[in-house]
Amino acid sequence: MKVLVLNCGSSSVKYQFINTENKLVLSKGSIESIGSSSAILTHQRYDGDTIKITGEILDHDLAIEYVIAVLLSKNHGVIKDRSEIEAVGHRVVHGGEDFSGSVLITDTVIQTLRENIELAPLHNPPNIKGIVACLKHLPDVPMVGVFDTAFHQKMPPRAFLYGIPYLLYKRYKIRRYGFHGTSHLYVSKRAAELLGKAYDSIKIISCHLGNGCSIAAIDRGISIDTSMGFTPLEGLLMGTRCGDLDPSIPLHVMAKEDLTLAEVNTMLNKHSGLMGISGVSNDMRELIKTMNEGNERSRLAFEVFCYRIKKYFGAYIAALGGLDAIVFTGGIGENSFEVRKEVLTNLEFLGIELDDEKNLIQNGDRIISKDSSKVKVFVIPTNEELVIALETAQIVSELRKEMSNKS
Amino acid sequence: MVSEEKKLKLQDLIDEMPLPQVDSERIESVGIIGGGIMGTGIAQASSQAGLDVIIVEKDEVSSERSRKMLSEAMDREIQRWGMTISEKKAILQRIRWTTDISEVSECDIIIEAVDEDLNLKREIFRKLDRICPPDTIFVSNTSTLSLSKIADGTSRADKTIGMHFLNPVPKIPVVEIVRGIETSDETTKIARGFAKKLGKTAVEVFEYPGFITTRVIIPFLNEAMHILMEGLATAEGIDTATKLGYNLPIGPLELADSMGLDEILAWMETLWHELGEPRYRPCPLLRKYVREGKLGKKTGEGFFKYDSHGRKIIESK
Repeated sequence: MKVLVLNCGSSSVKYQFINTENKLVLSKGSIESIGSSSAILTHQRYDGDTIKITGEILDHDLAIEYVIAVLLSKNHGVIKDRSEIEAVGHRVVHGGEDFSGSVLITDTVIQTLRENIELAPLHNPPNIKGIVACLKHLPDVPMVGVFDTAFHQKMPPRAFLYGIPYLLYKRYKIRRYGFHGTSHLYVSKRAAELLGKAYDSIKIISCHLGNGCSIAAIDRGISIDTSMGFTPLEGLLMGTRCGDLDPSIPLHVMAKEDLTLAEVNTMLNKHSGLMGISGVSNDMRELIKTMNEGNERSRLAFEVFCYRIKKYFGAYIAALGGLDAIVFTGGIGENSFEVRKEVLTNLEFLGIELDDEKNLIQNGDRIISKDSSKVKVFVIPTNEELVIALETAQIVSELRKEMSNKS
Repeated sequence: MVSEEKKLKLQDLIDEMPLPQVDSERIESVGIIGGGIMGTGIAQASSQAGLDVIIVEKDEVSSERSRKMLSEAMDREIQRWGMTISEKKAILQRIRWTTDISEVSECDIIIEAVDEDLNLKREIFRKLDRICPPDTIFVSNTSTLSLSKIADGTSRADKTIGMHFLNPVPKIPVVEIVRGIETSDETTKIARGFAKKLGKTAVEVFEYPGFITTRVIIPFLNEAMHILMEGLATAEGIDTATKLGYNLPIGPLELADSMGLDEILAWMETLWHELGEPRYRPCPLLRKYVREGKLGKKTGEGFFKYDSHGRKIIESK
């Protein structure tokens, strides 16, 4: 099935057009700076043909129309008719408590998404705009919503409740949701494949270490705990986000430095993490470079980053009651052998043995633990678009089956 | 295989150029007359909302001063973690300074933010009226002057409206939308939309000197000054009691200092003249400070003393 995967942000639309039968990306691209007269459309076809156009694109509706147009384009496109787009898969950031899996988008679903805006005020509105635009421009094409939060929706209350008045959970849905679900799902499934074991028979810890970082404990196919919480600010240290924090620190700093809510929010989200500790950079490569040149603050940031991951390993191994595999993914997880080494050092007593040579190889899906290691360690580049396309194809084929059974 | 086609245009992709749903209320660009504290504040808030901004100043020196003031204000925000360096860059990228007022004629909305001087404002609006298309909305940021008088002499009293922003504009989440006698519903709707785009809560108020915010705060500040003048308590004591007693973030005298004592005096004079109510009679102590050039934070001294960062210097007894 040919699926158009859309990821609509506040001022951008990223897309991939994927043939799910052979998992081939027919074309991919993005529109940036939507809402301005200098929006940029970049489009790349499977054969390498690339175009970049600048022009006025004032809203998501128009952006979607351009995405369809460029797919149809005679010289640069990949289809001849709109009907060749068989389904559309939308990345949706927050599904709240309403979605524990991907869903066929209906009017009711759109209404539910609107009700959940409060939980993701920056992300859900552009997601909804993209969906509405597709309804208009591809009215007969089935659409599926794939949620960042869905994979974690099966975690038990003991993992998702915070130790605050229960009333707040009831009143404002304040609880752990977790994010990066599509990525955790993809890499953990792939790890099971590489292990040659059934996904629902093994225990996996997956680390998505990118711009945002999160870690998930996956027990026989179900995410039973994850480090991001009510928002993507909790858990691991990130590029500019603080991660876990004593909740009284923001209150204390607000009083000391006379900060407003907005300022303390910016401080925790944009001035903290690797950047905040090092004062050098939020980019792990830059940090490791300066660390090797002797910058002590860079070293501190690196150590805090790795130590926190290691601490979560301990917690999640205990929560899982055992472990078969660890997976690294995301920009840092896939590329930084330094981070992987630091995180995995001295864990031999848990049956985790890193193979230092394999750890240095930078290529594709790979195993980096020793043959003797009881727990296998993998590096698996994430591919959220492919998961969205596959989920979409699956739901749409089920729908087609139902339809043909009825008729 | 990579073909970078610079000449390709968006139109080439689609046979018929699709028009975005035409929205006459859409505001994309803002012209601001006057690059002082209010002007640059409105510019920053607008740019943050993704709008293009042109600030008009009277000469190059003032332009440069205005640019520096905004840049330094944002640097202070970065220092207190309220903003990042790249956000500052993005904000400045959308703001342009000019000394040629005719450059704002293409803007969707024009906001006047010069001194509270009726004749100056009238002159500016008349000039704008001649150079702008008939649909352009004119906004005045006045806090006490009559909007109808300001719009008098232009051909578009129906398209003139007041938007009273409060300082510091990027942080204060409210704006008073002031309807003049002739302001149309359509204009009010556009102003509301603009306020919403800036992330501000709009409160509608009919034209009357002082609107809500100024009317409420002035007697409060004036009373604190009277208490000080009468020798009941020290400035520190008055602020501490009021602040803690009523759970306010700042005491009245420090608030007055941060607003600028000359500004407050000017507002009071206007309110007193316009409304004739003795409760708006400026406290003699306020006149004295203004006469002595102690205008508050901006001069380093008012009811309190301030360091160069605008932080109150606490004098040990």
